[in-house]
Amino acid sequence: MSDRTQPFVSGVGMHPFGRHPDASLKDLARVAIVGALGDAGIGVKDVDAVYSANAMAGILQGQEQIRGQSVLRDVGIDRVPVVNVENACAGGSTALREATLAVRAGAAETVLVCGFEKMFVGDRDLTLSALESAADIEIVGGLGLQFTAIYAMRLRKQLDQGLLELDDLIEVTVKSHRNASLNPYAQFRKAMSAEEVRDGRPIAEPLTLPMCSSICDGAAAAIVSREPTRTDRPAIRVRAAALASGFARDGDEPSIATACATRAYEEAGVGPADIDVAEVHDAMAPGELLYYEQLGFCEPGGASELLHSGATAIGGRIAVNPSGGLCSRGHATGATGLAQISELTWQLRGEAGERQSGRPRLALAQNSGGWVEGESAACNVIVLEREAAWN
Amino acid sequence: MELTPALEAPLTGERPRLDREQECLVGSRCDACGATSWPARAICNRCGSAALAEQPFSHLGSLLTYTQVWVPRPGLEPPFTLGQVEFDDGPLVFTHVRNLPEGSRVPLPVQIVLGEEGAVPAFWVEPHARAGEEGGS
Repeated sequence: MSDRTQPFVSGVGMHPFGRHPDASLKDLARVAIVGALGDAGIGVKDVDAVYSANAMAGILQGQEQIRGQSVLRDVGIDRVPVVNVENACAGGSTALREATLAVRAGAAETVLVCGFEKMFVGDRDLTLSALESAADIEIVGGLGLQFTAIYAMRLRKQLDQGLLELDDLIEVTVKSHRNASLNPYAQFRKAMSAEEVRDGRPIAEPLTLPMCSSICDGAAAAIVSREPTRTDRPAIRVRAAALASGFARDGDEPSIATACATRAYEEAGVGPADIDVAEVHDAMAPGELLYYEQLGFCEPGGASELLHSGATAIGGRIAVNPSGGLCSRGHATGATGLAQISELTWQLRGEAGERQSGRPRLALAQNSGGWVEGESAACNVIVLEREAAWN
Repeated sequence: MELTPALEAPLTGERPRLDREQECLVGSRCDACGATSWPARAICNRCGSAALAEQPFSHLGSLLTYTQVWVPRPGLEPPFTLGQVEFDDGPLVFTHVRNLPEGSRVPLPVQIVLGEEGAVPAFWVEPHARAGEEGGS
């Protein structure tokens, strides 16, 4: 039974992810914002608050402050409260959660949530340094510790315990690229063979280049509103949004993703078996396998079996990352959480085109950012529901 | 909970991180619950107590996982190896790993090695054959 105070995602929009050297942050954001407003059937003057996410414009563009207001200027949004959100790669979902709380608190009726990132700046080392600042730099600065290495280390534990095989890592990457080949918003739109994935350039062993998300430009936006802004299509309600921060795990204590998922399931009154489609934070495609377990989609040790059963492919019992995920759809950090929400909203409405996975009713997004103590520094699990029955 | 001792904690830049004599990391241990941390904290993350003492840690630990990195970074020629180590008395630390035989499986016993004063990285770990245990591969 849904809680009537839970708001709706009434519109979504994206700027295609990829390499866009001629587009500024404003240009990327404009396309996503206009898309979301148009999808919701409203104009800029209907927006009474904005939550704006970006991770690295301070370092990469020099726009350390008022990133939201400066981007919104181009689309004529002023006066209303603008909250600038930074939570590393989890900024987009964090902005969505805060918008949800603002509506539930009665502080706003119609909120624009946007995320934008421009990582191609012609200086790869600068972008990598910006990414490395998603950790406590007083502790790990200078180590050369990129997210690729963090994921590689998480995966090695499973490989050495015999819970995963290299072939599992390859197969889930092939799935990721196959899904993205169907997505007009994706950065990498070419399917890849198992051989191409296995023989790719080594990045952080056992990860090869095709397994890893890339530097990326892009933007995504959503409209969160107290009531649906349109009545001519299925309404999508935000059933849960559970945010937490990283911590030093005590022994076998569950991960932050498990902790967030547990809270989100409780808030939504559902369980992992009820989820029909999910977008998870696979900054490296094989990370998807770790999240199967952490989000409860399979029993501990069951990730390989779940993958090989086909259940997580498009059309399967629980399609995971039909968009291609971070690895292949792309990971424009501050925008990623909202790209997940866009994909899931399209899936729930039946508007995902060639990527449409059956007739989903419940969708889950998991978006993580940065890291502390070996854990994500921020994690958000969001549950969306299509309220109307499918015809 | 008495928090005022946290106001008297040394400035973060003045808290020792290494002990060159004992050749080990130095962090904090909570007097109340025993939780350890590297680098030292002002207040315990586990129980919230501000009664923390400076603590030198064991020079031995367990390499929980690692990866060989092929992406160059300023001052770091690939390939280099990064790992996550749990020292015997508590703290969990990301560090460089050296002299690790190819194909090594984790967990693996390691010991800390300190670089020269001012070196980057300041320390790393290497495999350590303990009595009765097999090191290396």
